[in-house]
Amino acid sequence: MKKIFFLLTGFCFLFSGAYALAGTNEVVVGAVTPLTGKLAVYGEGFQQAMLLALDEVNASGGINGKPMKILFEDNNSTSKGSVSGIQKLIAIHKFPVIFGPAASSNFLAVCPIAQDNKVILIGAESAASAISKCGSYVFRVFPSDLGQGKGVAELTDNLGYKEVVLTYVNNDWGVGLAEVFKEQFVKNGGKLIDEFAHDEGKTDYRSEILRIKKESPKAVVNITYIKEGATMLKQAYETGLNTQWLMGSASKSPKMVALAGGAAEGVIGTYPTFSQETPQYRAFKEAWAKKYPGKKMPIFGEYNYDMVKLTAKALKGAKSMSPDDIRAALIKAGKGYIGVTGDKTFDANGDISATYGRWTVKGGKIGDYKK
Amino acid sequence: MTYYAQLVLNGVIAGSIYALFAVGLTMVYGVFRFINFAHGELIAWGAYLVLLLINPPFSVPLYLAVLPALLVTMAIGVGQDRYVYQPLIHGNRITLLIASIGVSYLLRNTIRLIWGSDLMTYGIRPVRGIQFAGLSITPTQILMIGAAVFFLGALYFLLTRTILGKSLRAVADNMELAAIMGINMKKVSLTVWILASLFAGAGGFLLALDTNLEPMMGMTNMIKAFAAVLLGGAGNVWGALVGGLFIGIAENVGVAFFSPGYKDFISFALIFLLLILRPKGIFGVLAGVR
Repeated sequence: MKKIFFLLTGFCFLFSGAYALAGTNEVVVGAVTPLTGKLAVYGEGFQQAMLLALDEVNASGGINGKPMKILFEDNNSTSKGSVSGIQKLIAIHKFPVIFGPAASSNFLAVCPIAQDNKVILIGAESAASAISKCGSYVFRVFPSDLGQGKGVAELTDNLGYKEVVLTYVNNDWGVGLAEVFKEQFVKNGGKLIDEFAHDEGKTDYRSEILRIKKESPKAVVNITYIKEGATMLKQAYETGLNTQWLMGSASKSPKMVALAGGAAEGVIGTYPTFSQETPQYRAFKEAWAKKYPGKKMPIFGEYNYDMVKLTAKALKGAKSMSPDDIRAALIKAGKGYIGVTGDKTFDANGDISATYGRWTVKGGKIGDYKK
Repeated sequence: MTYYAQLVLNGVIAGSIYALFAVGLTMVYGVFRFINFAHGELIAWGAYLVLLLINPPFSVPLYLAVLPALLVTMAIGVGQDRYVYQPLIHGNRITLLIASIGVSYLLRNTIRLIWGSDLMTYGIRPVRGIQFAGLSITPTQILMIGAAVFFLGALYFLLTRTILGKSLRAVADNMELAAIMGINMKKVSLTVWILASLFAGAGGFLLALDTNLEPMMGMTNMIKAFAAVLLGGAGNVWGALVGGLFIGIAENVGVAFFSPGYKDFISFALIFLLLILRPKGIFGVLAGVR
């Protein structure tokens, strides 16, 4: 047993040595990506988008002459897999920059590890507002949910609703978003007639609906998910509650419309979006079609592409390969950087801002809301 | 005022379904002296089997799908007993309890395997509730109360007016003595399982018709039913009925005073208090009368 242990340790040293050597003539970045497990369907697309950006970086001279590489570590779509993946990338490979895993829960599991080890962690698909508090080494090229709270407040204001009932999912995400909404809405001169949290995953929200109905509000802001949103809309319809529902992006899904069975008609909501008319987007679309002919563009592929491109720009500008130098260079590189998904200027929390689109349900289909 | 009346009405609707589940659970306990943790899965299977039948390749209309679905649910219930619980019946009660937890996992994950973890629906368009005196009730909800009244009424008739029902009560009272008196144990246990799965399956279908289907739906309702059983005194059929209604009304009316997010807290806090103050349930005094 002992012998095997020594042998294994020996191998580890050998490999880490090999990577350290390799590091001298190429720049390697780690990535924890869901290549197996329930998110694998998305993970493949993330990987392809990252590799597309990587090709472009290397075609235009790499990182100051050295080729850039990404070492993918599979996380089996779980938090556990993400933690062991990032530990491997940090402890064995000692990479200064790591692209974090998809799904907020997985990302949140690894962000303290990155922060403690002073390794830069960048996310391209995680939205939870809690990630903003991860620390100074954690960045996102994907808009935080926090912005959405403001987005919904502006929507409510623009539609002319001054008095609303607010309800939200009783978890970190829902409570955080509701706080942001409230602050912004009240600042704009709005008034909350009633506000309460609702539990996640229930099948009976009739008491909640009754509580709303008691106030007969003109509009209800409902910060919730697909299932909960659909159930509430359906039961509100059955109870005979006539009101304008305002929602966020987490419930924007054809599944929600299908589950609500017609009761979702007329709902208005916001969602983070970016223009598909920019030259950056067109270039990305062209490059994608060239590298992966006949393949559909993956969800969040644009964000993954931007993440790699922006990181390459930062690595080029960094004084050294130490995380602190790269961090400074990343903040500088992001300033005014317009990628496929828009402006990537980082704020103090390592978050970017986003523009918000509006969606509505019309004739059983989700479409853009136009006045 | 109508607000509170509506809350009570909602409570009665929820409570009548809890009662259906609790009565089945407590009957099994009364005869076999163990809490069948897989009871919740019968609820879910009742609902999912209907879903199976109304979709291709069967595409049976909803009202025709209910009966075969309930028959299969009953077969699952009887099968649980025949292949898992009967071989273990002479062992420790804890063995049975643990076996039932195992059966519960097996049945629940079979649902996940076949239909996935996602939320499903029968795809029926919602209808506006019927309004009377400011109260609103949907046709499905009327059906829910109706079914509970029908099934529990039939049970009352069975237990008090038929030999089979009387022998069932005798077995619940003292299994060995009943066997000595020549009561057919096989017939009694078959009846108990059939009734328990029928109530669970029918309740599960109605619940899914009213809301949605998901693999965990059985588990959530099983916990409520378990609470109702405790409240009524384990093994006490009418206690379970009242316990179910009590929990349904308490958690719905509680919404008027607490945030709806604490709905479950209300019912469980009540159980907690009752267990401390009256460990034998509200009908503790009547212990032995079933």
